[in-house]
Amino acid sequence: MIDTIFLILASFALFGAGCMIMLSNTVHSALGFIVTILALAGLYALLDASFLFMVQIIVYAGAIIALLLFVIMFLNIQQSHAPKEPSKYLFMVVSAIIMMPVDYLLFKAFYTITDIKNFSVTPKDFGDVKMLGGELFRNWLLPFEAISLLLLVALIGAVVMARKKERA
Amino acid sequence: MSNYLLAWIVLIPFVSSVILGISYLYSIKVKKISNKFFTFLALLAPMSSFVLGVGFFFGLKNGVSEYLYEPYTWLGVDNYIINMGFLGDKLSIFMVLFITFIGSMIHIYAAGYMKEDEGYGKFFAYFNLFVASMLLLVLANSPLIMFIGWEGVGLCSYLLIGFYFSEPLNVVAGNKAFIANRVGDFGFLVGILFLFVYVGKLGFSYGALEEYVGIVPNHILVIIGVSLFIGAMGKSAQIPLYVWLPDAMAGPTPVSALIHAATMVTAGVYMVARFHFIYDLIPSVGVFIAYIGAFSALYAAIIAMRQTDIKKILAYSTISQLGYMFIAVGLGAYSSGLFHVFTHAFFKALLFMGAGAIIIALHHEQNIFKMGGLRKRLPLIYIVMLVANLAISGIPPFAGFFSKDEILLKAYEHQEYLIYGIGLFTAALTSYYMFRFFFVTFEGKNYISKNLEPISASMKIPLVILAIGATFSGFVGLPEVFGGTNMIHQWLSNWSVDSTHVENFKEIVLMGISVAAGLIGIAVAYVKFFKYDFNQDIKESGIIYNKFYIDELIDFLIIRRVRQISVFVSVVVDDGIIDKTVMLLSSGFINLGRRVGRMQSANTRAYAFFMLIGLSSFSLYLIFKLG
Amino acid sequence: MEVSFMSYILLAIILFSMGIIGVISRKNIFIVYMSLELMLNSINLMLVTLSKHFGNMDGQIMAMMVIAIAAAEAAIFLSLIVALYKLKHSINIDDYNTLKQKGTL
Repeated sequence: MIDTIFLILASFALFGAGCMIMLSNTVHSALGFIVTILALAGLYALLDASFLFMVQIIVYAGAIIALLLFVIMFLNIQQSHAPKEPSKYLFMVVSAIIMMPVDYLLFKAFYTITDIKNFSVTPKDFGDVKMLGGELFRNWLLPFEAISLLLLVALIGAVVMARKKERA
Repeated sequence: MSNYLLAWIVLIPFVSSVILGISYLYSIKVKKISNKFFTFLALLAPMSSFVLGVGFFFGLKNGVSEYLYEPYTWLGVDNYIINMGFLGDKLSIFMVLFITFIGSMIHIYAAGYMKEDEGYGKFFAYFNLFVASMLLLVLANSPLIMFIGWEGVGLCSYLLIGFYFSEPLNVVAGNKAFIANRVGDFGFLVGILFLFVYVGKLGFSYGALEEYVGIVPNHILVIIGVSLFIGAMGKSAQIPLYVWLPDAMAGPTPVSALIHAATMVTAGVYMVARFHFIYDLIPSVGVFIAYIGAFSALYAAIIAMRQTDIKKILAYSTISQLGYMFIAVGLGAYSSGLFHVFTHAFFKALLFMGAGAIIIALHHEQNIFKMGGLRKRLPLIYIVMLVANLAISGIPPFAGFFSKDEILLKAYEHQEYLIYGIGLFTAALTSYYMFRFFFVTFEGKNYISKNLEPISASMKIPLVILAIGATFSGFVGLPEVFGGTNMIHQWLSNWSVDSTHVENFKEIVLMGISVAAGLIGIAVAYVKFFKYDFNQDIKESGIIYNKFYIDELIDFLIIRRVRQISVFVSVVVDDGIIDKTVMLLSSGFINLGRRVGRMQSANTRAYAFFMLIGLSSFSLYLIFKLG
Repeated sequence: MEVSFMSYILLAIILFSMGIIGVISRKNIFIVYMSLELMLNSINLMLVTLSKHFGNMDGQIMAMMVIAIAAAEAAIFLSLIVALYKLKHSINIDDYNTLKQKGTL
């Protein structure tokens, strides 16, 4: 049962990613990316990360991609604005070949990381809000605060940069 | 006298030189300073030093054995410690006295001689630096400090010989002096280094060296002695390093007087006397030195017989007289050598100054065969030159007689009859060529009378003083046979080796022989040149006139070879190999840079691509490395 | 066939590679941006997978942080795109080459 769900979600994720990097229309690409993000959210759920599942959908699909689409529309980018990319498939093949050793190394590294190939049995509340929150505020308080500060900086920075320059 | 005043003997001329140099720069760059200022500053320095020297002289006379002033440690590496030190013993104060006295005279003279020169201030700046270097050389208490003065003297001689540097020939002469001196300096340095290696641990002042010199093996001592003497050859113009001295006449005449009389050339004699504790242990090297001296004396005298340039004659006579000094110091009779240094300083300074006066009077004419008949027109110069010539010819009672005769006597006493014979013969030659010059200059007939330039008082006064000195300075060392006490020997008793004395009768006979030799020389010169006819066309030529072609030989054997090697190195090695390699490398790097520079295309995707290639290669490496 | 954690890792690796391929081969600045996000997501997937595998919450916490940073990045990045677009009137990443030296080299 879980295998089947994994396979379906994995193929959705790959399909979405493929669409995203191959389609020439920016909006179509963005839609493809949303598919990937949603599929990944489902995979998080399969991995007992229920809170991350929600965060993924809300933050990525709901905020980031929405913001992206908003910018695309705000700038009123037509298909004619999109750059001509006649050799993008050639680039893809070349970079895919160059990428091979890296992939192999990564795979091998993870393969040898542990002998047990099965997931460990986790408690029932693993990954839910309560446990994550407890962990976050007990052991990760300082990084959490730092992240919040970073978000504030990003907020201000974004406003400053996108603002209309009054004096050149 | 306080010890620290020793340093001031050196410092006063040095400081004066620095001030003069700065004022001269100010004078030519900003605002003209009157020559009186320069004269005052310049004359003050050697005179003050002389006064200080006299003070120390009386201190030593009243029983102080020596003055030693060591203000600070100059070099201190582990156990090797070299103090900046000034040593005022009887020898160095003796040197200081006549250097500063003759130096002062020459300063006064130069003030008149140079009065119309553009570089008046510069001249005296160099002059005082010269005196300061020489005094440092003399007053140093260790060979290394001496070496500073030694080099300083070489530098100043270069500066002063090339003083009229707009003439290329003078620059060449300056270079020649400098390079010949460098050869000698190298020998001196090698000697010092050997000394340092063998006894440097135990201290490097003269006192320490004298105490511990016995631990040096004998064959090393020979090397040290010969190396040091090579240094002396360079400074004191002995065979074969004498070549620079005749050319040094390119400088102004007071410079020649200073170099030849008071400073520089006497440095070699002083040095041998100062290192007497080494030479005492190696008498064979001493005899070698004496022979070099004897041959230099003879050789220079022969060349001087045929020269026409008044200053060249005097230059060769200096080499000749220095040869006598080396005969004495080589045979261990240091006080006799220094006595001759002392008397020679007077009459040689006098000769140069007189020659300078003649040159000035005759509008810079230096060829003696274009002078003639000056006796009536320059009576003062005539008298002083007569005194000087009698002194150098060894006619009693003038100064040269006593010192030269003593040297010949020493040679006889040491049973070096060959040296004695050469010395005697040279004495005859000396009086011949000196009076040849004298008669041709002051007598003769059918000479062309030219208008004479007046000679200023500041040039005349030192002439008179030195003439008195040249007459009477010999009595300082009046030998015992005439009832004198020979004060020079008593003063320098540490430096006089009393060997077997010949009996008084023999001594007087020997004196008679040497006086006779001098008189014969004068007589020959009188016959040949007293009524010299200036109308006859003389062409001096031949091997002697051309100085035995030694300059040409050196030019052929050494200078041209060195030049060929230089050209080879410059054209083939430098241009052909090194430059090409460097240029190839640089153009290669430029091309490489251009190519690598294209990678910086400001294209983000290209950067990402390079990054990926790097990542990929690194992964490949890890895969193959780790399996 | 039992789905082991290697299946998830393999998926993450493939997605990561696709992100890199997108960055290198596409000129459209928006797609480049989404490819970057894809790489972040693949790393998140790895973190969550390992968290599950070792039964340790730290992986999920890290993923949370990454998402937060990604959000911040999104804001900055998109505002930069807006500013750049105003300047260059282009979304072609190859046009953003102000740093390139104009000259002989």
